[in-house]
Amino acid sequence: MDSTEAGTEILRGLAEAVVAYDEEKTVELARMSLKQGIDPGVAILKGLAFGMDQVGKLYETQEYFVPELLLCADAMNAALDVLKPHIKVEAQAERHSVVIGTVEGDIHEIGKNLVKIMYEAAGWTVYDLGADVKAASFSEEQKRTGAEVVAMSCLMTTSMLAIPEVIKAIKANDPDITVMVGGAPLNRELAMAYGADGYAESCGSAVKETLTALNRVKGAT
Amino acid sequence: MREMSGDWSLRPGGMTPRERMKALLSGRPIDRTPFYPFARSFCAIQAGMSLETFFSDPASSLEAQLWTKIMLDHDEVLKFGGGCYGAWEFGGTVKPPTSDLQQSMSVERHPVQSEEDVERLELPDIAVAGSIPRTMEFCKLQHAAGLVCSVSVGTPFLIAGNICGIDRLSRWLLKKPVLAHRVLRLATDFGVAVAKHWLDTFGPDNVDIRESAPTDSNQVISPKHFRDFSFPYLMELHERVLGLGARYIYSHICGEQNLNLPLWRELPFGDPGIASFGHEVDVTKAVEMLGDKCIIVGNVEPRIIQTESPRTVYERSRECLEKGKQGPRGFILAAGCELPPKAPAANVFAMKKAIDDFGWYE
Repeated sequence: MDSTEAGTEILRGLAEAVVAYDEEKTVELARMSLKQGIDPGVAILKGLAFGMDQVGKLYETQEYFVPELLLCADAMNAALDVLKPHIKVEAQAERHSVVIGTVEGDIHEIGKNLVKIMYEAAGWTVYDLGADVKAASFSEEQKRTGAEVVAMSCLMTTSMLAIPEVIKAIKANDPDITVMVGGAPLNRELAMAYGADGYAESCGSAVKETLTALNRVKGAT
Repeated sequence: MREMSGDWSLRPGGMTPRERMKALLSGRPIDRTPFYPFARSFCAIQAGMSLETFFSDPASSLEAQLWTKIMLDHDEVLKFGGGCYGAWEFGGTVKPPTSDLQQSMSVERHPVQSEEDVERLELPDIAVAGSIPRTMEFCKLQHAAGLVCSVSVGTPFLIAGNICGIDRLSRWLLKKPVLAHRVLRLATDFGVAVAKHWLDTFGPDNVDIRESAPTDSNQVISPKHFRDFSFPYLMELHERVLGLGARYIYSHICGEQNLNLPLWRELPFGDPGIASFGHEVDVTKAVEMLGDKCIIVGNVEPRIIQTESPRTVYERSRECLEKGKQGPRGFILAAGCELPPKAPAANVFAMKKAIDDFGWYE
């Protein structure tokens, strides 16, 4: 086996270990990838992120559920801890960025955390505000970080009423910020009526939907 | 829709809500389909009460719910509290809603934060644990007012999630199943102990035993995990509670549960039980799966009640009535989950109007 083949095997192994939520294996392979001289950015993108992409698909098709997804993310994050310190600075500068949170009045974080996992897996920089986040906090954090996307979720019909206010605050500050929404009581029609740029029905489609909305907003400016 | 005019009014009912529900639970004929708006925080807002007071003060909570009950002339059993059941009772902390964007109590700190905490976890003293004294106070007032008393006993999986946090419980299903089973064991025993406390205090004819299953749904766990971690404890809970003399169990089979229905069907609920469904389960399917053993309750989507017009709510209610009304053990028109607290009153009334037009048994 030459070094290229070995590298391919490691990347495949990383992806498979993420899907199998095998944390020990992802860490072992992450260390091995560094020893083999594989660019950590490549190990993340073609190994871990590729694995999480498969996980997202398994979630979409109801083969994986919340427990599996959380453990896959744990396996990915453990390997990221090994790889991240070795990523070159210029590679980091190209990352997309998103401010994310659950809107005011809503303490439910699981859905938001699953979406956060998918952004991180796709290489995004994520600024997580947690749950029960006031409209002004979304706006302030976006201004502070310069993030190009703000993503918010809700689980309750009560807290969904906060979403138009958050969008209004963000757009008043900068209409070119892409706003994504999601959560159980919402649908695409309602998301658009609230003034969002995009909507994702589940975490599995969040990154794809965000990129589509981001390109649309950027194209319009 | 039968057009409304200035002199339009609802048909007078031939039964009181208590007579109607008693007849339905006894398999005797009733005048019309009962109405369960699933109203909690909605009652506080209608009565101009803060949610903090509504969830903290039993007498105020009952007052707000009674005004709403009279206003809507609904048939639902009133209930104190809601959300995060088990967290406070097992030693964690909870907080009432402080903003009108919130809907219910929430957990500040789960009693189980680590694997070691599970070893130390014990069944609390039911008489004094967490919200139980306040719920008992509410029910004594309810009983004095001639009403049936309602208390939550589960589901075990919901209570276990409130004890450990659903993220932690989810991880343990796969990585530490022994810990998950230990918490579920205690959650089940807790539910049985609460049911016994209520049945001993008020007697079986005056108690509505409830459970809600949002985290048992396939929006959280797989059908396999439902089978292995949820269903065995549900079976035990139902068997033991009915063994204590409870007339029925009211299960809110919340959220996406279509793949779990074959197992729900195996549970004893009483004769009949009551099974309520979220909008994710079609009423026809609900009747097909559980209609021979339970009164089916459902299931206008709460989002529609909040954001659409009264005519849309009326139309959805008509569809539910047409699918469920002839169920073998009966049907109750209801919101698919808790009524949005800020739902327009006319939208809630549209459900009542649909019953008036399509819910009578001639």
